[in-house]
Amino acid sequence: MTEPESGAESLPGLVSAVLAALRDSNDTLLQPMVRVCRACVALLPVDGASISIIMDTGHQQSLYASDAVAERLETVQFSLGEGPCFEAFDTGQPVLVPDLAHDAALAWPVFASEIDKAEVGAIFALPLRRGAARVGAIDMYRREPGWLSETELATALQIADIATSALLAAAVTSTDDEIDEAWLTMLPGNRAVVHQATGIVIAEFGIPAEQALARLRGYAFATNRLLDEVADDLVSTRLHPGVIDT
Amino acid sequence: MSEQSESGGATRERELLLAFVDIADTLVDDYDVIEVLHRLADYCVSLLGASGASLLLSNQQGGLHVMASSPDHASPLEVQTDQGPSLDAYRTGQLVQIDDLTAAATRWPEFATAALAEGFHTVQAVPLQLRGQIIGALNLFGRETGLGQRNLRVARALADTATIGILQERAIRRGEVLTEQLQRALNSRVIIEQAKGVLSHAAGIPMDQAFQHLRTYCRSHNRRISDVADAIVRGQLAPGVITDAHAPREDRPRSTF
Repeated sequence: MTEPESGAESLPGLVSAVLAALRDSNDTLLQPMVRVCRACVALLPVDGASISIIMDTGHQQSLYASDAVAERLETVQFSLGEGPCFEAFDTGQPVLVPDLAHDAALAWPVFASEIDKAEVGAIFALPLRRGAARVGAIDMYRREPGWLSETELATALQIADIATSALLAAAVTSTDDEIDEAWLTMLPGNRAVVHQATGIVIAEFGIPAEQALARLRGYAFATNRLLDEVADDLVSTRLHPGVIDT
Repeated sequence: MSEQSESGGATRERELLLAFVDIADTLVDDYDVIEVLHRLADYCVSLLGASGASLLLSNQQGGLHVMASSPDHASPLEVQTDQGPSLDAYRTGQLVQIDDLTAAATRWPEFATAALAEGFHTVQAVPLQLRGQIIGALNLFGRETGLGQRNLRVARALADTATIGILQERAIRRGEVLTEQLQRALNSRVIIEQAKGVLSHAAGIPMDQAFQHLRTYCRSHNRRISDVADAIVRGQLAPGVITDAHAPREDRPRSTF
């Protein structure tokens, strides 16, 4: 059954669109996440949204971003290892930044300095959680500063719940209750290069992984580049890891 | 239940929406899965005009169990664990539509007899699918005619909602365990990539070649890739052991940190 496109303009519409996507495709995650991000933009006063899986180790795997600005917000947060989505994940609570220029400067000064205020006025980050268990976060942004109303926040939380349901349902095999290893290999691999680059730094200096990642982040920041770019240079041997010795 | 009654008014649209929200709410809250399935069967009768509805889910042995039905006494549904439209829908993944059950007496003798005894003359069996896998079927019975295309679509969408709810119920019950599993599985993916980086840099070889060495080593030593990758990243296993084809088979500790 093909769901009408207009279906995503209501919460029940989103639910059935996500369900149809889960039912019909074997590439189970992308379409449901596209639906969720579109619903954010359609139902809430935001201009873009992105969804990512976040790991306890501070790693982040982007699943979908609705536009280039939303994608950059994720990339910058991962590059620095700080920002609203990490805080939403860490605390399990929504993180509402209605006026980025003022609020973010206090909580995440480096992140705030990296974001173009002409493009992003407000950020709302919601954890993807089930009880105390957390799997990731949704980041939403709007160009102009402004609050979410109480009703809008409730809608946003419901969208986050639907996204969490879709994520868990996609990750669990239908036959038993275990995480489907084959499903994991279908996740987008856009951070693999960062992990490989971390390995290169581990081998160069004989340091633990967390320290290697921290050095990479520090080097990227000091050279005014993104972590992804530095990692790419290392893996393609354009850059020798010996320079990352801070 | 005829096509013209499907056009519906604003009231019916609102009722449908509420039905979706009601069942979709189960995605959020803790709930009783049987109760949800009963509600679904009730909606098929009260909103969509079916004369009877039953929901069947597969068991481990490949048969079907009746999980819920409306009205409750819809007994012909019970015998379907051996034969019947829902089993056919379950096995083929296709909608099974019978407009005249008297003609189905040879196909499903017991089922057709029991259904006709209840006054049902039509049946539509909708497969419940998730990720290409069929986990059960929804039966819709009619006294005269079956559901039209539009209501059948709504029935299927409601059934999909219930389907995910069933999986979700397990996920909710085991939410923390599953999340830990997911975290662990994701972490081992990260660690394998890191190990590739270590091997690649230490041996001066491309990433894909590093991964081949890793796989070969794990196969010949009968070890899990994630375990070996972890040992490499922690510096407990020297890269040369993996990338040097003539390396001795025992793991040599590395004392860099």
